[in-house]
Amino acid sequence: MKHQSKFSPAQAQQAAHAQHASQQQSAREFASAEELLRYDAAQMEVPPEIAARLKDASATLPPPKQPWWKHLFTR
Amino acid sequence: MDPSAQSPELLERPAAGWPSDEIARLYEDHSRAIYYLALRYLGDPQKAEDATHDVFLKAFRKLDQFRGEASARTWLYRIAINHCQNLQHSWHNRHVLANSQDPVWETTPARTDSPLRVLETKELGQRIQMTLDRLSDEYRLLLLLVADEELSYEQIGVLVGQSTDAVRGKLHRARKAFAALFESTA
Repeated sequence: MKHQSKFSPAQAQQAAHAQHASQQQSAREFASAEELLRYDAAQMEVPPEIAARLKDASATLPPPKQPWWKHLFTR
Repeated sequence: MDPSAQSPELLERPAAGWPSDEIARLYEDHSRAIYYLALRYLGDPQKAEDATHDVFLKAFRKLDQFRGEASARTWLYRIAINHCQNLQHSWHNRHVLANSQDPVWETTPARTDSPLRVLETKELGQRIQMTLDRLSDEYRLLLLLVADEELSYEQIGVLVGQSTDAVRGKLHRARKAFAALFESTA
């Protein structure tokens, strides 16, 4: 009996694209340790909880002092 | 970069919960670098989160002492390195680390010129962490710092208290060690 694909042609094409993309991703190469670490760092998301905690913790901080000359340029 | 140097757009933008735009900008510009260093140096997401929080809070409190002699990035790194090393020392007995006394890479063929192949990118973070955990603290820190393209070898030397030549030499050995250990995690 002939096996029938459960995918429509459009779905099959989409699946092929996804597989191709996955193969491209899996073949990644890095020239050096730092290049690998840069890639890793770029994938990293800073947890938003840190900013939330810092905003709470720093709410009572006095505003940073500015040198006198800076007031001249920020008016 | 001087953290107090503000663009006109930023001056007009509200700080969205931050006490000042200067503080908001400092966090926005450098939080990824500091969090990444803490995460990969300490090897624990929760500890990295706490460390990043503590580093920035310390920086916010000392912001008026920042004189702009170093870049804001190196100033923050200095605080972060001290903080992470203090944490590391206090956990020393509970951490099992392969260090320079266990030189796996010394007997491994050098692969510094070969590319590092990654077949499963979803496991990449785990492999990187396993590799870094097996490096000495010094090599791990050097690699994490040199991965930041904003830092020069001279700045890295100042941060780790070594000459630029010493940094170059150690980085060469650190790359070799990383490559050998990374291969073994495949």
